[in-house]
Amino acid sequence: MWGNQILNQVLLVVIGLSSGVVVAGGLFGFIVSLGVVSDLADRTHTGHMVLLYEDIIALGGIVGNLWYVYQFQFGESVVMLGIFGLFAGIFVGCWTMAIAEILNVFPIFIRRGKLVRAVPYIILGLAIGKGAGNLIYFILGW
Amino acid sequence: MSVANETLYIKGEQSVEVQTRDVRLGDLVAMECGQQNIVSKLKTLKILKMPEKGQHRFVISVLKIIECIHKEYPNLEIQNLGSPDFIVTYEARGKKNKFLEGCKIVLVVITTFIGAAFAIMTFNNDSGITTLFDQIYEALMGSPKEGFSILELSYSIGIIVGILVFFNHFGKKKFSVDPTPIEVEMRLYEKDIQTTLIENYSRKGQELDVGKSDSKSGSSGGDRS
Repeated sequence: MWGNQILNQVLLVVIGLSSGVVVAGGLFGFIVSLGVVSDLADRTHTGHMVLLYEDIIALGGIVGNLWYVYQFQFGESVVMLGIFGLFAGIFVGCWTMAIAEILNVFPIFIRRGKLVRAVPYIILGLAIGKGAGNLIYFILGW
Repeated sequence: MSVANETLYIKGEQSVEVQTRDVRLGDLVAMECGQQNIVSKLKTLKILKMPEKGQHRFVISVLKIIECIHKEYPNLEIQNLGSPDFIVTYEARGKKNKFLEGCKIVLVVITTFIGAAFAIMTFNNDSGITTLFDQIYEALMGSPKEGFSILELSYSIGIIVGILVFFNHFGKKKFSVDPTPIEVEMRLYEKDIQTTLIENYSRKGQELDVGKSDSKSGSSGGDRS
C-alpha cells in the first residue's frame, strides 16, 4: 500500500515536470514567434538589449506561474494593481495585434477592399474598437 | 591607367548606417582588386550627399554604384558579391540620449515581465490547471487533494526548466552556442523591414538607379559630381 503511494507520488512528479516543460515551450514559443518582444525592441531602438529582455520574460513567466499556482498574497496596493493592469494591457494589446499580423488579416482585407489609403484609419479603428470592446466586456461583467 | 583584364570584387551589406553627409564608396561596400591602388582610390569616390533637410534614407541600386565606378575606370570589370540594393541611412553622431534609452529599456523590461507573468496566468486559467491538478491527484492518489501537493511544485519546476531551455540562456550564461530565439526573430524582423524598404522605394521609382534622371527620381540627394 505504502509502496503504491510512493510510486504514485513519483508519477505526479513526472507528470508535473513534463507538463511544465511542454507548456513553457509552447507558450513562450508562441510569444516569441509572434514577435511581440522583437517589435518592442525594434520600436524603442534597443535591439542590443534582447538578451536582457529574454531573461525578463523568463523571469516573468516563472514568477507569474508561481504566483498563480501558490496564490501568494501581497499587501493591498491600488497603485501596484494599476501598474500591473496597465503593462499587462500593453502586452496583450501588442499580442493581439501580432496575432492578427501573423494571420495576414491586414494584407488580405486591404487587398480585397482595395483600401491601401485607409490603412492608418483601419489601425486606429482597430485600436479604438478593441479598447471599447474591452470596456464593455468589463462594465457589463461578461 | 590600364585596368583592362582587372576585376574588382565588391561586397556590401543590405543596410548601411553612415555618420557623415558625404557618402563614399568605402562606406557602402568592401572591395578587393588585383591592383591595390584602384581600391584605395575608389574608397573615397563620392556616391551621394545627404541633404541638410528632408529624408535621410536612400535606397541605391548596385548598378548606380557600378556606373559611378565605370566613370573612373571605364574598362574595369566589376563583380558584385553582395546585396543588389543598399539602404543607406544617415544618423547624426552623438544624437543618442542615454537617459531616454534607459527609460525605454525600463519600460520594455516592465512590459515583458508583467506581460509574461500575465500570459502564463491566462494560460493556466484558460486551461483550468487548478481543476486538472485536482483530477490528476485524485486519479493517482485515490483521495481528494488538500492544500498543495508535489504536483504544483513539480509543475512549477517544469515551467522554469522549459523556459530556460527554450530561451537557451539565463543572464550571460548561455547553454549552447546557438543564437537565442528572440535574436533570431529580431534578425528576421530586420530583414523583412529591409526588403519592404527596398521594394517600396523601387515601386515608387525613388531608388537611385541607372537610366533615371535625378530630378525625376524624387530623391534629389544624389551628387553626381
